Amino acid sequence: MTDDTDSESDTLQADGGTATQTPPETPDDEQSPDKEVAGALEKIRRARKRRALGWLATIGVVGFLFVQAIFAVRLPDENYQIDFFIDSLGDFFPTTDYFGVVPFIDFGEYLDYILENNLIFDSDKFFELFGDPMAFFFDGLGMFDMFGQAGITLAMGLAGTIMGFPLALTFGTLGSERVTPFPFNFLFRGTMSAIRSIPAIIWLLILIPFAGLGPASATFAIAVDTVGNLGRLFVDELEEIEEGPIEAMDMAGANYPQRVFFGMISQVRTSFIAWTLYILEINVRIAVTLGAFGAGGLGEVVDVERGLFNFDHVMATLICIFVLVISVEIFSQRLRSRLRSDEQKMGLWELITGFPDRMSESLLK
Amino acid sequence: MVRIEVDELTKEYGETVALDDVSFTIEDGEFVVVLGVSGSGKSTLLRCLSGLTEPTAGEILVDGTPVHGPRKEVAMIFQQHNIIDDMSAYGNALSGSITRYGFLKSFLRVQDTAEKQQALEALKTVDLLDEAQQKARRMSGGQQQRVGIARALVQQPDVLLADEPVSSLDPGSAQQVMRYLQTAAEDRNLTALSSLHQVNLARKFGERFIGLRDGKKVFDGYRDELTIDVVDDIYGDIETEGMFVGTTADEQATSLDEEVAP
Repeated sequence: MTDDTDSESDTLQADGGTATQTPPETPDDEQSPDKEVAGALEKIRRARKRRALGWLATIGVVGFLFVQAIFAVRLPDENYQIDFFIDSLGDFFPTTDYFGVVPFIDFGEYLDYILENNLIFDSDKFFELFGDPMAFFFDGLGMFDMFGQAGITLAMGLAGTIMGFPLALTFGTLGSERVTPFPFNFLFRGTMSAIRSIPAIIWLLILIPFAGLGPASATFAIAVDTVGNLGRLFVDELEEIEEGPIEAMDMAGANYPQRVFFGMISQVRTSFIAWTLYILEINVRIAVTLGAFGAGGLGEVVDVERGLFNFDHVMATLICIFVLVISVEIFSQRLRSRLRSDEQKMGLWELITGFPDRMSESLLK
Repeated sequence: MVRIEVDELTKEYGETVALDDVSFTIEDGEFVVVLGVSGSGKSTLLRCLSGLTEPTAGEILVDGTPVHGPRKEVAMIFQQHNIIDDMSAYGNALSGSITRYGFLKSFLRVQDTAEKQQALEALKTVDLLDEAQQKARRMSGGQQQRVGIARALVQQPDVLLADEPVSSLDPGSAQQVMRYLQTAAEDRNLTALSSLHQVNLARKFGERFIGLRDGKKVFDGYRDELTIDVVDDIYGDIETEGMFVGTTADEQATSLDEEVAP
């Protein structure tokens, strides 16, 4: 307790006669502390002490578990080679001398590699598609090829999310206790748990006999994974809904499917869209991982170049992955905040033309 | 001719008796206000009448048939309006017609044109025709409750129940909403029952009053019988003088209420 508290309680007393409390360790001659107040303070002190002990115990237990875990993974007695590690990191960064004197990372080399191998842009495909409207909409389907290897990775994530969505919606809705009575909802929850217990990479391996090792299998693997993960988020979201709108639909005479859709799902529609966008972000990252196992796209480029010990090419590909993942995240986050905001929505035109203003505004903050 | 008969209605939640042997009859087209403090059993009474709650004992007859569960001729307006936030005012109003269509038709909104016109007419009744396309989430509390009234009207009920319809609104909007409720009930000749805890509002809009205290019916009568002693009896030993100043309170409330045309 400090002097601040004292002066504050004095003001309160002056204002409306609020009971003031004087800390027992600095007894004030003029105001002897009320017995009840002192008792309450003592109680609060004891409770705080108990909580502090509780936290200490928690930290102790977590620390103990951590020590056990790092010994289990041989972390303390591994033979570390820090020099070799730093040396090999250098392979990722080709250097050049700017103006003949300043040594610096050779971004030109990255750029050459990216353009040469169509990592994020395929000019042939671009001119083929935009030179001919027929090709764009009908003949040359596969617009994503335009973005080269990044396009393939993005397409895997996007197609997988869209394919998984309807099943995730069905399983997620039917897995909720509010929709399906108790023992039966576990049929759907259990299926989703089973799907989740197998990572997307394993799903890819399982699906190889079905569609071979390539982007098609990866897309199916992502779709299956989406059912497990997105469905689970839907179940959780549905547990939070309010009883009121459901009762209102009951009063209006809704039948069972109407009750579920109008009373329940309509309450969480925005959240469902937001979660789906979040899963899209994750799925694009999964698509990179699956690529590294041979399913195509940027991930496969990383794997191949790593095998060839071309670490500068690996780095160039990582930059592309960074650009792709960040772009998807920015897109999805902007869309989500737009969905959730209660303000009047901006038109698309205003969204684009107003961008510099808003950007400078947020930078100046 | 829709009468509501409530006969020896009792509702217990475990040890707690929420309604204790309540009986009354409401004639066709009457506008009844149920008065009482929080926890006096107002909400329980309305929930039993709506069929959302099954009474422990006693019987409710609407139009001669006993109530067991929600019925399409009984519509309800809720304290927290319970409209769908993510839908437009129009979509919410239209959802009142849900019982006349299957899932697909109501989901795709391919109801008959007459039905859609009816939904818009209901919105016009509560003066929200211009806001029909607005998302319910972006509306004010009073507007949301008016959407709730519109939805109830689209249901084409004979009985309109309102559970504390204005308790979360400011005095101005509260009066406005009560006026719309009254007009709607009068125009469509509905038997209406609303619970309220503001005595001045109740006096202004009610014809007949039922007073509940600790789950028991302590008053049942018309406006001239609702004296200060009666109010004291319903509200117990709280200071009621301020709440009950007759016409003065009405005038004050009216001056607060800017939007409502006289």
